Amino acid sequence: MFSYRRYLSRFFIRLGLALFTLIALGPVIWAVITSLLPLSALTSRPPDLNPLNLTLENYRLVLDSSRGLFSGLINSFIIATFTGAVGLVIGSMAAYALARLRMPGSGTILMMILATQMFPGIVIAIPLFLVMSRLHLVDTHFALVVVYLSFTLPIVIWILKGFFESVPMELERAAAVDGASPLQTFRHVVLPISLPPLFATGVFVFIESWNEFFFAIILTRINVKTAPIAIAEFSGQYQTLYGQMLASAVLASVPVVLLAIIFRKFILEGFVEGAIKA
Amino acid sequence: MATLELVHIVKKFGEVTAVNDISLRVEEGEFVTLLGPSGCGKSTILNMTAGLEDVTSGEIRINGKTVNHLGPYERDVAMVFQNYALYPHMTVEENIGFSLRLRKRPKDEIRERVRKVAEMLELEQLLHRLPRELSGGQQQRVAIGRAVIREPSIFLFDEPFSNLDAALRIKTRGEIKELHQRLGVTSIFVTHDQEEALSLSDRIAVVRLGHLEQFGTPEEVYARPASKYVARFIGTPQMDIFSGEFLRQDGLYYRIGKARIPLPASIQPPAAAVDMGVRSEFVRLGAQGFPAMVRLVQPVGPFTYVTVEWQGGGVTARVNGVSHLKPRENIRVEIDPEGVLFFDRGTEKRIDL
Amino acid sequence: MQITNDYNRRRFRMGLWFTAPAIIVLLAVLAYPIIASWVLSFLRVRFAGQGLSFQFYGFKNYTDMLSNQLFREALARSIYFTFVEVVVVVFLALIVALMLNHPLGRHAFFRVVLLVPWALAPVANAVLWKWIYNANYGILNQILVGVGLIEKNIVWLGSPLLALNMILLADIWKAVPFIALLLLAGLQNIPSYLYKAARLDGANTWQQFQHVTLPGLKTTLVISIVLQSIWALKVFDLIYVLTKGSPADSTVLLNYLSWRETFSNLDVGYGAAIANVLFVMMFLLALIYIRALRPRQTGERAG
Repeated sequence: MFSYRRYLSRFFIRLGLALFTLIALGPVIWAVITSLLPLSALTSRPPDLNPLNLTLENYRLVLDSSRGLFSGLINSFIIATFTGAVGLVIGSMAAYALARLRMPGSGTILMMILATQMFPGIVIAIPLFLVMSRLHLVDTHFALVVVYLSFTLPIVIWILKGFFESVPMELERAAAVDGASPLQTFRHVVLPISLPPLFATGVFVFIESWNEFFFAIILTRINVKTAPIAIAEFSGQYQTLYGQMLASAVLASVPVVLLAIIFRKFILEGFVEGAIKA
Repeated sequence: MATLELVHIVKKFGEVTAVNDISLRVEEGEFVTLLGPSGCGKSTILNMTAGLEDVTSGEIRINGKTVNHLGPYERDVAMVFQNYALYPHMTVEENIGFSLRLRKRPKDEIRERVRKVAEMLELEQLLHRLPRELSGGQQQRVAIGRAVIREPSIFLFDEPFSNLDAALRIKTRGEIKELHQRLGVTSIFVTHDQEEALSLSDRIAVVRLGHLEQFGTPEEVYARPASKYVARFIGTPQMDIFSGEFLRQDGLYYRIGKARIPLPASIQPPAAAVDMGVRSEFVRLGAQGFPAMVRLVQPVGPFTYVTVEWQGGGVTARVNGVSHLKPRENIRVEIDPEGVLFFDRGTEKRIDL
Repeated sequence: MQITNDYNRRRFRMGLWFTAPAIIVLLAVLAYPIIASWVLSFLRVRFAGQGLSFQFYGFKNYTDMLSNQLFREALARSIYFTFVEVVVVVFLALIVALMLNHPLGRHAFFRVVLLVPWALAPVANAVLWKWIYNANYGILNQILVGVGLIEKNIVWLGSPLLALNMILLADIWKAVPFIALLLLAGLQNIPSYLYKAARLDGANTWQQFQHVTLPGLKTTLVISIVLQSIWALKVFDLIYVLTKGSPADSTVLLNYLSWRETFSNLDVGYGAAIANVLFVMMFLLALIYIRALRPRQTGERAG
C-alpha cells in the first residue's frame, strides 16, 4: 500500500539518520584525516586535501619518546589494566556477597554506592592529594589506581550484583549439596558462568580509567604521565603542530574506541539497562 | 540408608508461617512423597531436610542424630532439583563427578565411578556433552546421576518431573521406581501430582498450608482418607462428596435432594451433620436404583465417566469400556455401600460408621 | 532469623570477608576524603615550608566565596551551562533515539556510530574541537566562509559569551550518544501492544507519541535529565584544553574554579568550600534520581 505520507516520513527518517551519522562521525573522521596530513597541507587555504599528501609522519613524530605520548600510552595501559583487574576482583566479591550472602545493611550499602556516582571529583581530589603528598605517593601508578577505584568500584559492584542475582539459586544449592563451600561455589560454579559480564565490566573500567584526566593531572607530575595528559600537552605546548596534536588524540583514542566497538553488545545491554533498573 | 525424623518442624518467613508443626518419621529404605498443591510448604520442608533452609523451630533427625546445624553435604543427602540445576559450563561427566572432584578423589576413581553411574542411567554416549545440548529427559538423568554417585543416606527429589511432557513423565516415573528398587535408598519425593505420588510411594504425606493432613500408604490415603481435603485431592476424577442427611424409613438411607441411597441397617448415624463421599468406580448405572438424567459423557479410553444429575444432586460414575448413554437420557443409579465414606461436616474428618 | 545451620553461617561469614576489601577501599578513598573536604573548608590552609599549616577559619571561606564576584559569576554560568546542556542534549537524544527505534534505524551500524563519541576521552574530544574551532585553519571557519555564511574567520574561543557556548556545543556533541542510548533502552521497554491499542483507538502518530511514548519514557527521561545535569556540572577537560578559563575568566565554571583556587592559587580551604557547594548541588540531584527510581512503573502505563 503506497502512502504518500509514509513515503515522506521514511524519507525524513533516512535524512535524519544520514544527518545523525554525519554529525556524529564527521568530526572524528576529520580528526583522522587531519592527523594524516602534513602541516603544510593543513595550513594552506583551503587545506590541501590531496590524497597523495597522506602521511604517517605525524604519528612518527608524536611517538618519539621525548614528546611523552609513548610513555603516556604505556602508563595509561598499566593503570587501566591494574584498575580493571583489582576492581574486578574486589568488586565481584563484594557484588556476590551483596547479591547472595545475606549481608545485613546491604540496602544502605547499595544506596551509598549509587550516591558515589554523583558528586564531583574535586571534592575528594583535594584531601586525597594532601594525603598522597604526605605519603610521598604523588606521581606513582599506585596512587592513580587507588583513586580510580573510588569511582569504578561502585560501578563494578552495581553491575555485577545485578548479574549475580540472576544466577539461579538452584545452581548454588546444587553445589552446596554436592559439598561445595561458599567459596568453592563462587569459584567453580558462579564465576565460570559469569565470564561475559565480568569481561564487559572490566572493559568498561578500562575505558573509564584510560580516559580519565582530572585526577591524573592532580596526582601526577613527571613520571606517570598518562595518555590524556600527553594529549593535553600537545594541545598546549605544541598547539600549532596541528597534525601532531590530532595524531596524539587519535592514537590515544583508538584503543578505547576499538574496545567499545568490540564489546558494544555488553556495554549497551549492561550499563544502559543498569542505569535504568538500578 | 537412613531413617529421617521431622519433629515438630516449624518454618516462618517473617510473619508468614510456611510450615506449621509437622512431625513424621521415614523408615530406612522407604519412598515417601510429600504431596500437596503449590505453596503448601512441601518444598520448604524438603529444603529444610536438605539443610538449605534454616528451621525456625523443631528438630530434624537423621538416624536418630539431630542434624539441624549441619550443612547439606554433612547430612549425607543428595538432591534432584526441579530445573535440574546442572552446571552449564561443565560436561555431563564433570557434572556428575563434581562432588568427587571437590573431595579431591583420584582422577581414576572419579572416572570409573562416573562411568558406572552413566552406564546405569544410559548416559555413556553423552558424557562429553554440555547440558544445553541435551534433551529434558537426558538432563534429568544427569541430575539423578549427580545425586546417585554420592551414595547418600537419603535421596531428595524436588518435583523433578514438572518440566517433562506427559509421556516422558510416565516413563521416567517407572525409571525412578526401578532405581529405588535397585538401590533401596531412603527417598523423599515432592510433587503436586497425586497420581505420581500413588504410583511411586511407600507412604504419602499429604500437606496442606503447612499442615500434615495425612501420612499413610497409597491405599490408605485413597480408600481411607483422613479428611475431605485428602479425599478430594487424591484420585481421578475427584471424589463426589454430598451434604445430605440420614433418613430412616423402612431401612437406613442417605438422602441427597430427591435421591435416596440405601445403606446397611447396622450403621448408627451420629447426631452431628455428616457428609457422604463416593468414588466413581462405586457408582453403577443401569436399570436399578434411584432415577437420574445423564448430563455429561466423557470417554477416556478404558473407561467412560458419565455424570448424572437429579433434583438436588449429581454424581459421576465410571463405566467400563465405551458407554452408549447420551446426555438427557434417563438412567438409574446404584451406589455400592462398600465404597461409601462419611465425613463430619464440621471437622471435615472422616468418621467410621 | 536464627542461623542454626553450618552452611548458612559459613555463607554469612564469607559475605563479610568478601565485602571487606571493597568497603575498606571505598572508606579510604571516598568516605574519608568527603569528610576531610568539609573539614578543610572550615580551615585556612597555607603552605609553610615543607608542609601545610591549618588554621581554623570558621565560615569565612564560605562568606568570602559568596561575596566573591568571580564565584557568583561562575555559579551563574554553571547553572546556565547545565540548564542549556540538559535541554538540548535530552531533546536531541530523544530524536536520535526515536530514529534508532524506527525499523530503518535498527541496524547495528548506528549503534556503533553512537558509541564512538562516547568512548572518546574527554580530553581527546577537547583537542578535536580545539582544532575545529581554530580561528585560522579550523574547519568550522573554512566551511562557513566557503559557504558564504560569514565573511571573515571568527575567533570562536576569543569572545566571552561565544567561547562559553562553543564549549557547550562540544560537550553536547559528546553527551548526546549516551543519553540517546538510555532513551533508546527506555523506548524499547515500552510494550508494543500499547501502540497497537492506541492505533485501534484511532490515535495518529503525534497522539501516540503524546499518550504512549512520553508517559512510558517518564522515568528514563527523569534519569537522563538528572544524570546529564550532574555530568554538566563536572565539566573540566574541555575548559582546561580549550580556554583555561579565558577570555577574562568568562569560561570559568564551578568545577574548574575549585581546581584553580586549590592547585594554582593554593588556597586549599577556599577551593574545598567551592567543591562542597558543587557537592551539595549534585547530592540534591542524586536524591531526585533515587526518588525517581523508587515508585517504579505503576503510574506509567498509558491510559
